[in-house]
Amino acid sequence: MKLIPTNGNGKFAGLNPELNRRNFLRAAGLGGLGAGLYALSGPSLLKEVEAQGKGEPQAPKLEQHKSICGNCAVGCGFIGEVQNGVWVSQEPWFEHPINQGSLCSKGAAVRDHVVSEKRLRYPMKLEGGKWKRLSWDTALTEISAKLLALRKQHGPDILQINFSAHYSNENGFAIRKFAGMWGTNNADFQARI
Amino acid sequence: MAGLANVFGYGAMTNHQNDIRNSRSIMIIGMNPAENHPISMQHILTAKEVNRALIISVDPRFTKTSAFANKYVRIRSGTDVAFVYGLINIILANGWEDKKFIAERTYDFETFRNEIAKYDPDTASDITGASKEDLLWVARTLAENRPGTVIWAMGGTQHNHGTGVVRTYCHLQMVLGNMGVPGGGTDVFRGHDGIQGVTDVGGGPETLPGYYGVGETAWKHWAKVWDVPYEWLLARFKSKAMMEKPGFTVARWYEGVLLDAKELGQEANLKAVFFMGHSTNSMQQMDRVKKALEKVELIVDIDPFVTNTAVLPDRKDGIYLLPAATNYEAAGSATNTNRDLQWRQKIVDPVYESRPDLTIMVDLAERLGFKKQFIHNMKGDWKGVPATPMSEKDKYVKALPEQTIEDVLREINMGCLSIGYVGQTPERLKRQQEWGHVFDIKTKKAVGGPVDGEQWGLPWPCWTDKHPGSAILYRTDIPVAQGGAGFRAVWGPTAPDGKTMLSADGSAPKDGPTKGYPAQKDYAVDLTGESIKLALAEGRNPYGNGRARFNSWNIAADPFPIHREPIHSPRPDLIVKWPTYDDVKEHYRVPQPYKSMQKPEWVKSFPLILTTGRVVEMEGGSAPQRTSSWLVELNPEMYIEMHPKVAADHNLRHGEMCWVETPEDMDAKPSRIKVKVKITKRVGPDTVFLPFHWGGVFEGNSLAHKFPEGTAPFSIGESANTVTTYGYDRVTQMQETKTSLCRVKKA
Repeated sequence: MKLIPTNGNGKFAGLNPELNRRNFLRAAGLGGLGAGLYALSGPSLLKEVEAQGKGEPQAPKLEQHKSICGNCAVGCGFIGEVQNGVWVSQEPWFEHPINQGSLCSKGAAVRDHVVSEKRLRYPMKLEGGKWKRLSWDTALTEISAKLLALRKQHGPDILQINFSAHYSNENGFAIRKFAGMWGTNNADFQARI
Repeated sequence: MAGLANVFGYGAMTNHQNDIRNSRSIMIIGMNPAENHPISMQHILTAKEVNRALIISVDPRFTKTSAFANKYVRIRSGTDVAFVYGLINIILANGWEDKKFIAERTYDFETFRNEIAKYDPDTASDITGASKEDLLWVARTLAENRPGTVIWAMGGTQHNHGTGVVRTYCHLQMVLGNMGVPGGGTDVFRGHDGIQGVTDVGGGPETLPGYYGVGETAWKHWAKVWDVPYEWLLARFKSKAMMEKPGFTVARWYEGVLLDAKELGQEANLKAVFFMGHSTNSMQQMDRVKKALEKVELIVDIDPFVTNTAVLPDRKDGIYLLPAATNYEAAGSATNTNRDLQWRQKIVDPVYESRPDLTIMVDLAERLGFKKQFIHNMKGDWKGVPATPMSEKDKYVKALPEQTIEDVLREINMGCLSIGYVGQTPERLKRQQEWGHVFDIKTKKAVGGPVDGEQWGLPWPCWTDKHPGSAILYRTDIPVAQGGAGFRAVWGPTAPDGKTMLSADGSAPKDGPTKGYPAQKDYAVDLTGESIKLALAEGRNPYGNGRARFNSWNIAADPFPIHREPIHSPRPDLIVKWPTYDDVKEHYRVPQPYKSMQKPEWVKSFPLILTTGRVVEMEGGSAPQRTSSWLVELNPEMYIEMHPKVAADHNLRHGEMCWVETPEDMDAKPSRIKVKVKITKRVGPDTVFLPFHWGGVFEGNSLAHKFPEGTAPFSIGESANTVTTYGYDRVTQMQETKTSLCRVKKA
């Protein structure tokens, strides 16, 4: 379906009496051009947008979610905007105490972590030199059977877990607990490289 | 981090990025925030503009940060100890040191003073390549413009004596009295978004969460938190000895596959390796990594993207790729470089068939037979985890709910008492998220509202669910209840020489005992939290009030840091005078040779210093960035930065291809990569620079055809780490990627 820019109330920006700057820019198709242009555009455009909005169908609700950019350790905030379950756009989190809304090139492209066409879509395994699609169940069944067989033969220290400094605190904590309960200290992440 | 912890007691950035606005001098050494931490530059540049703070950039390479600096000093890669001790000598010779701070809050300054006298300006200049005039200018500027901060990153740490380098930065700030004050501090900027938090509450091969180590006390503490019998945990291991022995690190795990098992610190070789959000192109000696990936029996790569790991090894089977969800497809907390915890809301559900890492872990734990223990702690089971099998046919669990993640954070709050990860509850983090607008930009402290008085991110130590967090560590001008603290009294009340390790009378956080005091008994293991509360009630910091150490006596190889020439040194004359360490038989389960690997003759055939670093559009192994069309458009391909003289001497023109070759190290043949030449004076005529983000090309051959269809990144390129050479830190095993030797040839 076609995604139509709206404000957070699920209504067209043009129909909203409380039309704000960003929604106005979006509706006017100027969102990417910044405040400078807005200052030049004057009130006449505003009327035009309002007139266009009449009688058009309601667009799906635009949800906003606050997050922290994962590209480095500065910890910049941003707001992800979601429509129909799809991450459609990104807004500055102006009140964020560290970055006050600004982002670097990586932060500005953070949506690509999720919407990139290059994402790995399903479990796969290399078999006879070819990549083969698997279900999660099959993949995890095969992996765990192999691990248990190796463990039986050689003990738990045959496993090395290289986990991630991109992990949330919860994931980082859980994976170290996981390694301990598997029975090895062979678990590390990028802190020393 | 080990460097900081061995001086002050905690391994973390002491001040915060916003606080740099209070600095009057900013020395950035081995670090390029303009590219690596771009938004932090806003605070740095505000200090420059508003405070007239002077920025000094010390680096082998004239970086984008250097372009903003008032002064740029070029030093040879791996000579930081000589540079900083050179500065301290000048400071001491002129009486510019902070005598009161040194007397009241530090240990063993007198021995230190004698130890570092050998780095006189001539010696320091000879080792580093910086002029004596520059050394004097920098020393004077730091002395005359206090408070000042010292900022570093991997340029300081990725050396065979990196832990020593970090300690010298700390010593500089101790001498200047720049610790525990706004605008001062030792501000290491960390790399990944989760790296500080995962270091704190994850832990690596040498420690359980919260820096408890892997000794019996640590396991017993966590057995209590996890509500499992210690004996059960013990039985999971090969033996008690293996349970208490640090494991392999990411820096050298591959030797656990490649070396003969007899040489290892464990009985069997590694047979299976998991990568969970970890690229192999960020690992030094990647040619060795490749061999290990070809020999190991099972590789499981759990990642949102197909990484270098999937295509690097020449093998026909035994690799599984599992699609992980990103941090935007699940909620959770992350601790940034200055210890601030921030909550992420889930933006969207996991896309395609991908799953959050925690869900994958629970599922695996179930199949491996320990789900019951894994999802449990002393307050019960994590909420939201189904009692039925995770994989039950019709209702396969794709993602555990947010309440499961919250329960994991609560478990962290229960157990990580040592570093004060207590008060950062999910409720408080979420409340801060709603009240970001009331936090002051300079102090990061809330003014008004339900979060009044709290520090943004509740930076650890945050001792209770009422504590505001400690934005600036070791600060004595405020009470403990507001985040005040002395240095951590982690070395006991007295040093081995009998001198006190507690701070002098008059040097203590406000509203508490005026003299130094030891840590509150059992504060780190008393799960009731009563010990911590008892200390707070008396205005004492639970971890005590001790002294920062000039002498780290427990680091036997160099209690006082010593300049050590890189393993691959371009100065044979200096190898004689400033050699690396003696060989070490076993370090993190592998042999770690030093002197026997340091060969003075290498420089004859490999005359150029090779150093590595980052570019603003990429990060780490860069699987997510090289698959972003926007970022690839901005920085499309791998290259080498080369001084015009080097290019001319090799008849290389801008944009031509060249081979970069490094010594053979542990393998039979030299390693080499084929990269595009970028001619620039950013590097001096003795050094070349490689960004380390690329993968998917190996020794001139594209691996693009080896990716599963449609998953190859928009940009592939040679990995810098194919040619980085042997060399690891004596304490942490950090890889020495910042200093190799190489030669270039026209391709």
